[in-house]
Amino acid sequence: MAALLRALRVGRALRGLGSVVSAPAAQPPCSSLTRGFHRAALRLQDESKADKPPSSSPSSTTYNEHYRAHSAEQEAAGAPQEHSASEPAAEEASRPNTSYQDQSGEQGEDYETEEQLQARILTAALEFIPLHGWTVEAIAAGAEMLGLSSASTGMFYNGAGDLVLHFVSQCNSQLTDILAEQHNQVQLGQAEPKKTAEFLRDAVETRLRMYIPYIETWPQAMSVLLLPHNIPDSLKHLSTLVDDMWYYAGDRSTDMNWYTKRAALTGIYNTTELVMLQDSSPDFQDSWDFLDNRIQDVVNMATTAKQVQATGETVVQGLMGAAVTMKNLTGLNQRR
Amino acid sequence: MHRAAHTAVYSCSNIVGPAMIRQCLKCRVPQQLSSRAYSVVPTPRDSEEKEMLHRILRVDHAGEYGANRIYAGQMAVLGRSSLGPLIQEMWDQEKVHLAKFTEILAESRVRPTALLPFWNVAGFILGASSALLGKEGAMACTVAVEESISEHYNSQIRALMEEDPDRYTELLQVIKEFRDDEIEHHDTGLEHDAESVPGYWIFKNAIQLGCKAAIYASQRI
Repeated sequence: MAALLRALRVGRALRGLGSVVSAPAAQPPCSSLTRGFHRAALRLQDESKADKPPSSSPSSTTYNEHYRAHSAEQEAAGAPQEHSASEPAAEEASRPNTSYQDQSGEQGEDYETEEQLQARILTAALEFIPLHGWTVEAIAAGAEMLGLSSASTGMFYNGAGDLVLHFVSQCNSQLTDILAEQHNQVQLGQAEPKKTAEFLRDAVETRLRMYIPYIETWPQAMSVLLLPHNIPDSLKHLSTLVDDMWYYAGDRSTDMNWYTKRAALTGIYNTTELVMLQDSSPDFQDSWDFLDNRIQDVVNMATTAKQVQATGETVVQGLMGAAVTMKNLTGLNQRR
Repeated sequence: MHRAAHTAVYSCSNIVGPAMIRQCLKCRVPQQLSSRAYSVVPTPRDSEEKEMLHRILRVDHAGEYGANRIYAGQMAVLGRSSLGPLIQEMWDQEKVHLAKFTEILAESRVRPTALLPFWNVAGFILGASSALLGKEGAMACTVAVEESISEHYNSQIRALMEEDPDRYTELLQVIKEFRDDEIEHHDTGLEHDAESVPGYWIFKNAIQLGCKAAIYASQRI
């Protein structure tokens, strides 16, 4: 139903737009559209997503054509593109565009899925957070910056929740990339492996630093994440984050340690995040000191636990020895 | 034994080299763990496959862990009897299985089941109490558990073969080999007068019911 309405709206817009696109006289009518196609194609080649089925809905195809036509018009006006893949697009304009013509069969190469479009809008919306907060207005402003109508916020059924979850997942991916890069460097012998405590400290600090640009409004984001319908998703993001951190720290445990380690790191991460919200020291130094202390606490606790276990084992051995000695002394141990 | 596997995984992550899994499986010794171009479990293509594979691995790991503890319980009671060497031999094979699954879990970043401490205690108690019923009791317990496990492995093999036998060749090989071991244990148990335990039918079915519940729980929790 919503898809039909979208298709109608877009159809009307397309008819109106057809005249606009053919207007620019300086360039041949096709090339601006072509450049839009090329840009979208190159952007998509960067995505490592699996191909979606040919059209998730007919309306999103027409919607995307509308967007591409619109963006071509924007590009002609010199609007900046935020994606780096757009740079080589300028040279591609002269290439024959035969491969992009056929939209009926495979739509893998130049078809931007709805999810990718949503991701782009949400990324653009991040710029407007300081102004509008973590709200639907920010998403609307982001959509407008990309040249779309602010009514495209209708795509986001979860509103502010979508925005916050997208940001969190983006930060997690960035962290995973950084940690994987460090891991590669250690494997190639270009860097020294860090000790676990230091590694975790750096990982948590790196991850929390990604919040610094949004720290004023972060309490609002946290309250959005705590809404009941967002809790499963936010917990999932948190657990994958902590799992990634431990994996790259070298944890390969397959017993209860798996759970205790992750629980400890989750506690450290959450408490440090909360401290950061209230921190007014230069460069959040207080938060990093707090982080140091918490990690040290966990390390101490682990050491103490090991010591207690070793002591316990020794004590038991001593008791067993004493019991055997008593049995020998009282003559109960004789074999008859 | 699987602690050695842990440290080996961690320290060998820098070594890149071909690992002969099949050869090592035949050798029945803990193989050198190194980062390989391929691994036993293929990288999942989507979240459904990941969920399926992780469930399979999680429950297999829990199963081998439980079997280990059952044999440990039996050894604690019957270790010094005439059945001791036989139980020890079967226990050693289970240790190899557990080491293998521990390695696979670590490699594929699978979450181990949260019920491990429970299976630790329950397995030991089951092994010890079945051994307290005598040698035939211990053998009957072995027969029941091994029958459950081999049925379970068979259904996993069927599921994987239905999905895509080529993709899961190595994993199928591992599971088939372990299933053959478990069937061997089952037959050994039968040879050693398992069926002469009074109340064999009830005993066997109660244990198998428990195993089914354990499998169901470990897949999810």
